[in-house]
Amino acid sequence: MIYELDAVGVRYPSRRGEPASLTAVSFGVAAGERVAVIGPSGAGKTTLFRLLNGTLRTSSGVLRFHGRDAASLSPREARAMRRRIGTIHQQSLLVPSLTVLDNTLCGALGGWSLVRSLRAAIAPARADVERAMAALERVGLADKRDARADELSGGQQQRVAIARLVMQDPEVILADEPFAALDPALSEAIAALLLGLVEAGRTLVCTLHDVELALGLFPRVIALRAGRVAFDAPSAAVSPGALDELYRGAPAPSPVPPPPGPREPIPAC
Amino acid sequence: MSRSPRAELRRAGIAALAIAALIAAAIAAEVRPSRLLDPEGHAAVRALLRGLLPIDRTPEFLRVVASATVRTVAIAVAGTALSLVVAVPLAILGTATLFRRGPLVESEPRTPSRIALSAASVAASAALGVLRSVPDLVWALLFVVGLGLGPVPGVLALAVGYGGMLGRVLADLFETVDPRPLEALRTTGATRLQILVFGIWPQALPSAVAYMLYSFECCVRAAVVLGLVGAGGIGYEIALSMRMFEYGQIAALVAALLALVWLTDAASTALRRLLRANVPAGALGHQRLGLGIPGAPRGALAAVVIAMMVASAAAVGLFDGGALELATLSRMAGFVRRFAPPELSPGYLRTLLAPIAQTVGISVIGTLLGVAIGAALGVPAAAPYAEDDRARRAAWLARHALRRLCRTALSLMRAIPEVIWVLGFILAVGLGPFAGALALGVHTGGVLGKLYADALEEVSPLPLRGLRATGASPRQILVWGAWPEARRMLVSYTVLRWEMNLRASTVVGIAGGGGIGMALYNDVQLGFYPRVATLILVIDVLVMATGWIGDAILRRLESASLATRRR
Repeated sequence: MIYELDAVGVRYPSRRGEPASLTAVSFGVAAGERVAVIGPSGAGKTTLFRLLNGTLRTSSGVLRFHGRDAASLSPREARAMRRRIGTIHQQSLLVPSLTVLDNTLCGALGGWSLVRSLRAAIAPARADVERAMAALERVGLADKRDARADELSGGQQQRVAIARLVMQDPEVILADEPFAALDPALSEAIAALLLGLVEAGRTLVCTLHDVELALGLFPRVIALRAGRVAFDAPSAAVSPGALDELYRGAPAPSPVPPPPGPREPIPAC
Repeated sequence: MSRSPRAELRRAGIAALAIAALIAAAIAAEVRPSRLLDPEGHAAVRALLRGLLPIDRTPEFLRVVASATVRTVAIAVAGTALSLVVAVPLAILGTATLFRRGPLVESEPRTPSRIALSAASVAASAALGVLRSVPDLVWALLFVVGLGLGPVPGVLALAVGYGGMLGRVLADLFETVDPRPLEALRTTGATRLQILVFGIWPQALPSAVAYMLYSFECCVRAAVVLGLVGAGGIGYEIALSMRMFEYGQIAALVAALLALVWLTDAASTALRRLLRANVPAGALGHQRLGLGIPGAPRGALAAVVIAMMVASAAAVGLFDGGALELATLSRMAGFVRRFAPPELSPGYLRTLLAPIAQTVGISVIGTLLGVAIGAALGVPAAAPYAEDDRARRAAWLARHALRRLCRTALSLMRAIPEVIWVLGFILAVGLGPFAGALALGVHTGGVLGKLYADALEEVSPLPLRGLRATGASPRQILVWGAWPEARRMLVSYTVLRWEMNLRASTVVGIAGGGGIGMALYNDVQLGFYPRVATLILVIDVLVMATGWIGDAILRRLESASLATRRR
């Protein structure tokens, strides 16, 4: 098993208002599986993802990755775990002032020493550039290598994020609403790219608000409601009644405003 | 909207308190306008002004001016370079989002090393705060006593003082970048230092470089001043000529000072414009993480800057045996030991109350004077609000000529440091806090006037055009259009300037303006180092207290301005 969650709970005061939490979440994910996570907004999908990619710690229960308790890992081992898990976010979250090539190279940071990454910041090794270019070719953005990330459209940025993922070469891919910010045509292209990556035997866990898409693309669906698992079933067995129950009375998603950029300091003399 | 009587009462109370504080400040700063009318003072000032001409242009003296100028530049460049060495590591360690709080930290297990690291991070922030709150001239004074006369103590003073200033700003910039890309990098398994290099630094770079250039400008001005306490350069020569009443030499030296400051400003403004943060995306070229000017070969600029820094460091003798020897270090350590423990006897502390009151008084009166001068010159120094005045060509030209004139006057007031101004005002009104307050006022007026003018010019022109279309006069446009838009910026500039002036008012004291600075200067000369330690602590506390009061004022005004906007 890749993941085993045993009565996992998370409780933390969220900086963005309502407390986000998970209660007694238990399930397992086997290698090579494709799983969709659905549920109304505020159900704890993003919290679950932060647990799965090792950037948030459990408050109770046990999360095992490849049989090892994630809470027992040393910082170095935790980093090694993160390196094996690739995450795609709703917005691409590239570093805006870096070029497309640099953003792609960032995927390899987990495997680099500090010296090597400092060198890459000034002049990356040819082999690394070639790998990054291969990743960019795969998403069809090789010609944009020297553009700044913030010059790209939303769909292009999402493709760069996927190139960064290819560069990282993880065994598990976590995709958090990868299509939410895209129009349908783009969604299809990105979905094709993601599913293409998974064919190499990787595991894919994906949150989706579009239930049709979830049932169509993924053999297994885990539904969250108010921080608990509502159901965990093969897509074919999910009934319309269960879905109605899941989304009843759910609040509409509210967009999170982006934080302000750095301030221009006032002269000191 | 009507106010409740309670709020009305509170307002009245605050106003009464402010007026009382003002009167107290005026008494403490020994404000005596009658002294400005003193015929003896007038005669001294007349003698100074008359003495300025003819400018001393003898070849021997011009050579002195040239070498003093070169030395000042070298001190400034080397000081800036060393200040980076001080600032960058402390800023990185002091960045709270990397080591103390936030998602990057919270996901790590609570190992002892993580706790130690966050403690070190707190210590780094505190160290930056202390380095920053002690004025540069005080640092210079201490280094001169510890290491002897010469440019090296000046360089070290700049390195420490501006290192603290720069480090604090860099840490601030690092903390306020968009955190979301950082979390994304985190999920690839990047370490915190890698996140710094690939996520934080590229985002903060444009503002960081702009601020480093500001800091260099400050160092040039400060390098002039440090000469006064024996660090060499233009300031030293000015103090020397002043003592010998050679006013013609002073004119030449001040001319060199002005040329130097204006040239630095122009160069740094041009560079900043090239590297501006808010240029359209991509205009910075496809710079990698290093510095890059569009069109210039990558790294060429960085190489030039580094070469200049090394050359300057060599020129001021930083690499000469003495400066880096072990013996020097142990001498420095021995010197530092003489400061402990600070003198804290109640009898001595009681004698400090008067100088503290004087220093605070100088800063308050100086800032108020600065606001008055800044407003009087800053408003005409802002560009004409109505472009369509072009039709009335004569009026338009007159307006522009007035703008140029005011800008030049402000720039002159700004370019000459407080400490040089105070030398002049001592002639007019005698030694003491009033001279200090006047000097602070004139210099602050120059700084605030420019900031006011810039803020007024940056107000979006569209609403002003709208007002214009209703037939409003330029003065009405100012009151109803530009003032409400620019108010927040103007007020926060003023409050921040007051905080800086508290530091500056200790500095004018060193040159004879009274207050803590004068006490500090005397105690250093007499070798009462435990007292010096106490005085430095006092300055530290005062600077922190003003920072705190300033923040409170800004917060209050912010909520008040929201309320009035709704009214």
